[in-house]
Amino acid sequence: MSKILGIDLGTSISKMASIINGEPKCIESREGLILTPSIIALSKAGERLVGVLAERQAITNPKNTIHSVKRFIGRRYSDPEVQRELKLLSYETRERQDGEVEVKMGDKWYTPIEISAMILQKLKLDAEEKLGEKITDAVITCPANFDDSQRKATKAAGEIAGFNVLRIINEPTAAALSYGFTKKSNQQIVVYDFGGGTFDISVLNTTPETVEVMATGGEPHLGGRDFDQRIINWLIEQFKKGEGIDLSKDPLALQRIREAAEKAKIELSSALETEINLPFISADSAGPKHLLYKLSRADFENLSRDLIELSIKRTEKTLGEIKMNKADIEEIVLVGGTTLIPAVRAAVKNFFGKELNKSINPEEVVAIGAAIEAEILRAKTEGRAPEGDVKSVLLLDVLPLSLGIETLGGVSTQMIAKNTTIPTAKTQIFSTAAENQPSVEINILQGERPMASDNRSIGRFILDGIPPAPRGIPQVEVIFDVDANGILTVTAKDKATGKTQFIRIEGSIGLSKEEIEKMKREAELHAEEDKRKRELVEAKNLADNLVYVTEKTLRDEGDKISAETKKEVEDKVNELKKVKDGDNIEDIKQKTAELSQTVQKIGAEMYKTNQEKKPDQDQGPKAEEGEYKEK
Amino acid sequence: MVQEDKNKEKESNLEALLQECRKQKDEYLAGWQRARADFLNYKKEEIERMGEILKCAGEEFILKILPILDNLDLAEKKLPEDLKKDDNVKGLLLIKTQISDFLKAQGVEEIKTVGEKFDPNLHEAVEQVEVKNKESGVIIEEAQKGYKINGRLLRPAGVKVVN
Repeated sequence: MSKILGIDLGTSISKMASIINGEPKCIESREGLILTPSIIALSKAGERLVGVLAERQAITNPKNTIHSVKRFIGRRYSDPEVQRELKLLSYETRERQDGEVEVKMGDKWYTPIEISAMILQKLKLDAEEKLGEKITDAVITCPANFDDSQRKATKAAGEIAGFNVLRIINEPTAAALSYGFTKKSNQQIVVYDFGGGTFDISVLNTTPETVEVMATGGEPHLGGRDFDQRIINWLIEQFKKGEGIDLSKDPLALQRIREAAEKAKIELSSALETEINLPFISADSAGPKHLLYKLSRADFENLSRDLIELSIKRTEKTLGEIKMNKADIEEIVLVGGTTLIPAVRAAVKNFFGKELNKSINPEEVVAIGAAIEAEILRAKTEGRAPEGDVKSVLLLDVLPLSLGIETLGGVSTQMIAKNTTIPTAKTQIFSTAAENQPSVEINILQGERPMASDNRSIGRFILDGIPPAPRGIPQVEVIFDVDANGILTVTAKDKATGKTQFIRIEGSIGLSKEEIEKMKREAELHAEEDKRKRELVEAKNLADNLVYVTEKTLRDEGDKISAETKKEVEDKVNELKKVKDGDNIEDIKQKTAELSQTVQKIGAEMYKTNQEKKPDQDQGPKAEEGEYKEK
Repeated sequence: MVQEDKNKEKESNLEALLQECRKQKDEYLAGWQRARADFLNYKKEEIERMGEILKCAGEEFILKILPILDNLDLAEKKLPEDLKKDDNVKGLLLIKTQISDFLKAQGVEEIKTVGEKFDPNLHEAVEQVEVKNKESGVIIEEAQKGYKINGRLLRPAGVKVVN
């Protein structure tokens, strides 16, 4: 089945999305950008340019570069609002015979519908190239306050572009859809859409079948660019004060300042301070001049406070128009790049006194919502559940906390990490910690702490009947299996005898949310101390093991080693033994290193004697992955 | 007779149950196969995506270095003649060459500008200027260097164009 596009046809920027592998995703244009400028141009060479290419040549070709047609699509030329807009344009317009607007590009006159169709057509072609298939169906979004004529015009643009337009949906509705808010009925939702050049506020009410737009409001010329302009003005002013040079008259300097201002704005969303560094911005008789200023987030907030306040005032007014109290609003959805500014978020949150919905990229959320709507429509005609919903039926849980077992020295050895999707299983081989150890105890642990005693023991059992063997030789296979219902089965099997024991733990995995959070918090709180504890145990285990192996070698092969070496090794063993039960990790590590170096002498001497006797003989047992603590 | 009817009824019930089970079995098997296939496909796509991300991350990084090189270019351009001969200054400018060489080694190449015809695929107009005896649409000055990486556009060059 071919894919359907969800298109956010914006005043200055357009975006598109589709369901890819069951997830709604924005699609890049052929220039590799998610955001395509809604600009069309007829270049001087007579070539039609769309999107970023049209934008790049706009300065050289203002008369034939058409932007912002969305402001008059489906509207009458004589409309006073349209008249106001027309004054701001760099290209020619006139009234058509039917009373609508026409724009001039090259020698020809076009309707806003035709211009919009060119943008949509580019999106279509780019999507087809990216996805490698033909696309015909689309859902296109429009502002909630678009009237019937504007909606019809938008649909017509889609059809001219070669789309089968399944539906025209409201931008705020699409945003709410992205967050899945339309499933619950009778919810009041505010969509706060602060874009690059426009600000829109919408109040929605969800009903079982539809989403009702209760009120809309906004500012047609308020957006991210105004925030940039505030920084630009500030920089120019500072420079004028400091150097006495007016940079606003220098187009090249202005271009650099403009770029730097936008960059500073973006950086201040994550950093508390940014540096604007433009060397050689200008020059006078004394030599070159450099621009270097620090701008803090607080300064930026002071520069732009009134812009944010205006948006909040608009919001208040819109709610007032329908006599709605802000406390009645259940969800607030953020749309548009300007909502990435921390001060904007803080102001909105403060106004409503509620957490905001911002997890989906606010620049993509409308296109994503359109793609979801497209999938819902398609699924309905095919009589199946939409792809997004299939997942909720087959929703797979994740483990809230890690599972593991206790091993030598009271260490918690992880078997399955937290956040692993279940069902899942993991197998690992362990061994014994003592000579002729007849049984092992499996202590099953839940939690993130590295030491067993700090985690929760959720079950334990003993596997016995292990035939006598040196430590580290028996192989005990431990299997952790968590089924889809979160039931854990732990099995231990002695590989030599095939003897098996198991335990089934039901329900115990499912802790309450508070308990899980508490355990995670504690793990974070004690992370440093836990790490030290665990390192100490590991160092002790290593020392212990080395002492054991060395003593065994001395016992078994003592006759092949010179008395001198033997004495040296024994001394080192005694030194290590003295420190290994203490808590000084540095001492233990150092003595272990010393012993392990001295021990190599044994190897060398044995190798020499062995070589004289039998040239190829296999050396000792292989190391094991883990060991049980002795019981 | 009654017993026979009962048996028949039981049989048809069992038959229906079996049908139902078979249907469910087919459904589950298909779902399972689909999940396996989804996973394998996901793995393949993930490998591709990783490659893509690594490439993009490299490009992102280079894009962030470019403004530093821009400023060095500017410093060189604005250097007074007498300073150009100074060996200390020459040494500093060699550092610029070092950055340029590093970028070249990453597949980055400069976009030609002055004297070329303006092309929005490679250039971004920052200003339009009136120049007599010059063909319209030709680039007269470069405000900011543009770069390609492995043949694709990394950043368009900022240029002044003849009206």
